[in-house]
Amino acid sequence: MIKKILIANRGEIAVRIIRACRELGIETVAVYSETDAEALHTQLADSAICIGPASATESYLNMERIISATIISGADAIHPGFGFLSENSKFAKLCYDCNITFIGPSYEVIENLGNKSNAKTTMKNAGVPVIEGSKDPIIDIEEGRKIAGEIGYPVIIKAVLGGGGKGMRIANSAAEFNGAFSNAKKESKMAFSDDRMYIEKYIENPRHIEFQILADKYGNVVHLGERECSIQRNHQKLLEEAPSSAISSSLRNKMGEVAVNGAKAAKYENAGTIEFLLDEDGSFYFMEMNTRIQVEHPVTEEVTGIDLIKEQIRIAEGDKMNLKQEDIVITGHAIECRINAEDPEENFRPSPGEIKEYHMPGGNGIRIDSAIYQGIKISPYYDSMIAKIIVHGKDRKEAIRKMDSALGELVINGIKTNTHFQHEIVNHKNFKDGNFTIKFIDEM
Amino acid sequence: MNLKNLFKKTNTRKITGKENTKPEVPSGLFVKCDKCGSTISKEELGNNLLVCPKCNYHMPISAKERIKIVTDNNSFAEWEFEIKTKNILNSKGYDEKLEKIREKIDLYEAVISGVAKIDDRKVAIAVMDSRFMMASMGYYVGEHITKTIEKATAERLPVIIFAASGGARMQEGIVSLMQMAKTSAALKRHHEKGLLYLTVLTHPTTGGVTASFASLGDIILAEPGALIGFAGQRVIESTIKQKLPEGFQSAEFQLKNGFVDRIVERKELKTEIGKILGLHVRTKANKIYSKIHKDKAATKKIKEKNTPWEIVNLARDKNRPVATEYINKIFDDFMEFHGDRNFGDDSAIVGGIAKFKGKPVTVIAQAKGTDIITNVDRNFGMPSPHGYRKSLRLMKQAEKFGRPIICFVDTPGAYCGITAEEGGQGEAIARNIFEMSGLSVPILTIIIGEAGSGGALAMAVSDEVWMMENSIYAILSPEGYASILWKDGSRASEAAEEMKLTAKDLMELGIIDDIILEPTNYKREKIKVVTKVMEKKILRFLMDYESYGEDDIRKHRYERFSNM
Repeated sequence: MIKKILIANRGEIAVRIIRACRELGIETVAVYSETDAEALHTQLADSAICIGPASATESYLNMERIISATIISGADAIHPGFGFLSENSKFAKLCYDCNITFIGPSYEVIENLGNKSNAKTTMKNAGVPVIEGSKDPIIDIEEGRKIAGEIGYPVIIKAVLGGGGKGMRIANSAAEFNGAFSNAKKESKMAFSDDRMYIEKYIENPRHIEFQILADKYGNVVHLGERECSIQRNHQKLLEEAPSSAISSSLRNKMGEVAVNGAKAAKYENAGTIEFLLDEDGSFYFMEMNTRIQVEHPVTEEVTGIDLIKEQIRIAEGDKMNLKQEDIVITGHAIECRINAEDPEENFRPSPGEIKEYHMPGGNGIRIDSAIYQGIKISPYYDSMIAKIIVHGKDRKEAIRKMDSALGELVINGIKTNTHFQHEIVNHKNFKDGNFTIKFIDEM
Repeated sequence: MNLKNLFKKTNTRKITGKENTKPEVPSGLFVKCDKCGSTISKEELGNNLLVCPKCNYHMPISAKERIKIVTDNNSFAEWEFEIKTKNILNSKGYDEKLEKIREKIDLYEAVISGVAKIDDRKVAIAVMDSRFMMASMGYYVGEHITKTIEKATAERLPVIIFAASGGARMQEGIVSLMQMAKTSAALKRHHEKGLLYLTVLTHPTTGGVTASFASLGDIILAEPGALIGFAGQRVIESTIKQKLPEGFQSAEFQLKNGFVDRIVERKELKTEIGKILGLHVRTKANKIYSKIHKDKAATKKIKEKNTPWEIVNLARDKNRPVATEYINKIFDDFMEFHGDRNFGDDSAIVGGIAKFKGKPVTVIAQAKGTDIITNVDRNFGMPSPHGYRKSLRLMKQAEKFGRPIICFVDTPGAYCGITAEEGGQGEAIARNIFEMSGLSVPILTIIIGEAGSGGALAMAVSDEVWMMENSIYAILSPEGYASILWKDGSRASEAAEEMKLTAKDLMELGIIDDIILEPTNYKREKIKVVTKVMEKKILRFLMDYESYGEDDIRKHRYERFSNM
């Protein structure tokens, strides 16, 4: 049994985890950087340890300091949240070596699934459809051209170590290939000091659909339905919902079953997410598996009634999962809007500063996951997401109305936010009609 | 709003099931950096080649690891010689100590050597291992290094030594001291065969090793922050009764004082050594011309009608390209080498090896800055004595490896000041002129701006001297000339008319051999127009002189000046 959990994260997800622990009666330890001394997660935890200056590499990404804080505080488990060290297999291994329970899958699983080509092979072998693409990393441009020709245009070129859209280019024809390939390579070299690339078939008008998985130590795996995450700007999700209006219950069962098989093949344990691209004709392809809790996990919690963080902790404690697939019922419709401290009028430039006035919406079916309060200073050092507004209605129409109302009630003054931009999304005809792909924002 | 102590605690959980075993950090999982004190995971440190990711401290590394890092995969073949450590003084406990270490680190002595490939080029390599009695040099180490050098000399291989040592091994007394002579003598023979010797000084390199083979490389590299010195810091402090300054005897200190060519990060070492080896490959040009060149018609091609005084001002214009800009445009893979091995590193002179159309050449330039900050750093292109001595060192090095020398001259004059006189400015210039006249490799000098007096000539005792259209070359500045002859520096423009300092005049006087025309209103943005022409002319020069024997080159240069 876990006695005390150290939360190796900050912001709303740290608060979310602390709240789950409070419900379970588990003692919590927050870690914080010098700039986060006044942060909600620092104050809400039972105890808090400063682990360094504001720069993340010196604090939230500093494995040695986090391990030291764990030992000193007497915590026996670490919840990594998302971002920072959550998908770092080295960190998970360090926890393992130090006899600290890492709330997430084993370091071997993280490492295997973190490597795109290994992940793809694992999934393919488990019967999960994958996108046609290069088997081995490519460096040579001529070899890349040859492979792209075999796959058939359009193709997408991706960095082996890529993420967040960096080192990614699309080539619609052989003529565009050389430019796209060398640009992607250059960008990857800059961002990840690595210029190995993959080439795959590019699906032109897909939706981004992901399945939530829960798996325990004993090989019990269930899926909790899908999340629709097509509303993205520069590959960053902005608004997510569950269920997806593009998925029938038979497709859900089919995709869910595939996802469960994939997770089983990967020997997955704990909460995880399998991301798919869903083509217009209903065919779907594995993209990647995220080996952590997702930002958008609340929409799944709302429609299933399952607290994913608490499940994560129970699984990490070695409890047998009592959930059976048939127990999982999707009820109503949930939407989440990410509120970011950024200025849509200035090309979404981060907008740090002090929150002077503050009011959060509330009422039936409205949930706020956030760590901000009046007077807090939003630091320029970290991710700009400051709040998630989650609504749950009996159907999609009601959920959209609730979101529209909630966004209209939200007041965050002193800094710029994307609230108005979110408002435009939920009021957009194509969004309301459920008629969109991952190109929605670009075509707005 | 202050949240402190606002929230109620809810940690009420009773542990009913099995309690987790207490977390603890197993020993050896983390390592502490000796320099900055941060904890680093051992694995991460290993991936970072034992360089602290926080403070860049280059930790000592075993010889075997070192070989793995710097040589091509599986290319190393160890050389084993029949040598045994000797306890000549019957030093008490010495044999036992040796046995203990041997058992502990599985290494017979403090050096490993062999043949390996770096970037597919064969080299002899010797690496010291400081885990073995601080890699101090006694009979075994000295003999092993000597045998390595001798074998490399016989096989005509370059030698690379990675030095790391506490100095001579006290337990072996005077015999240790003799190893300094033995290794150095072997290097002298290797040197006389015209073979490349490269040393890499790592933390720490001190005492008798610094005072022998470690300091004798044709090129000396050092790892950042490495302690490099002769006497130990404690000894110095107690002798002079002074506290030593921060950074004393560091690699950076040695670079500044002229004893290290380059400081190289561990992760860059292999690439850097590979480049150096590549710059020491002898190549032949494919075409041979045999006529000595003199473009007598060059003066007629000058279209601009600038007065000498206007040319003086153009030559000094701050928007005119400086030597480093020409180097970057004309040459590939320029690798700068620092220091005169004597006193310091003069930033008014930039020198090193580069490739010109694939052929290694030594490039030495008087370097002005491009703005006030870089100009202060480069002393406005006025070299100090140690600048000329660095230049001479690089010329001698070029001669050893048969590389042509290309000099860029751009100086108002040699630095005029107290330190310059203390350093022997006159002697430094004289020595350069003296030695240059006898070098056996072709020398080309291009005057790109100002060429003031002896300070310019010290880099222009060459086979050919070319001038840019709007450059000047004179016995001293027009201001100086006017003030000496007429006691009136303000009559400089008048002096310029009289002095015959323009390219046209000097061509007619037979002092120079070619003129490089400039576009109108020549500024650094237009450098390409000029470098294109320069490249063609340099190629012609190299091809011409390729065909000359060493004696012909010396004879030609001697006659060139004896006729003036």
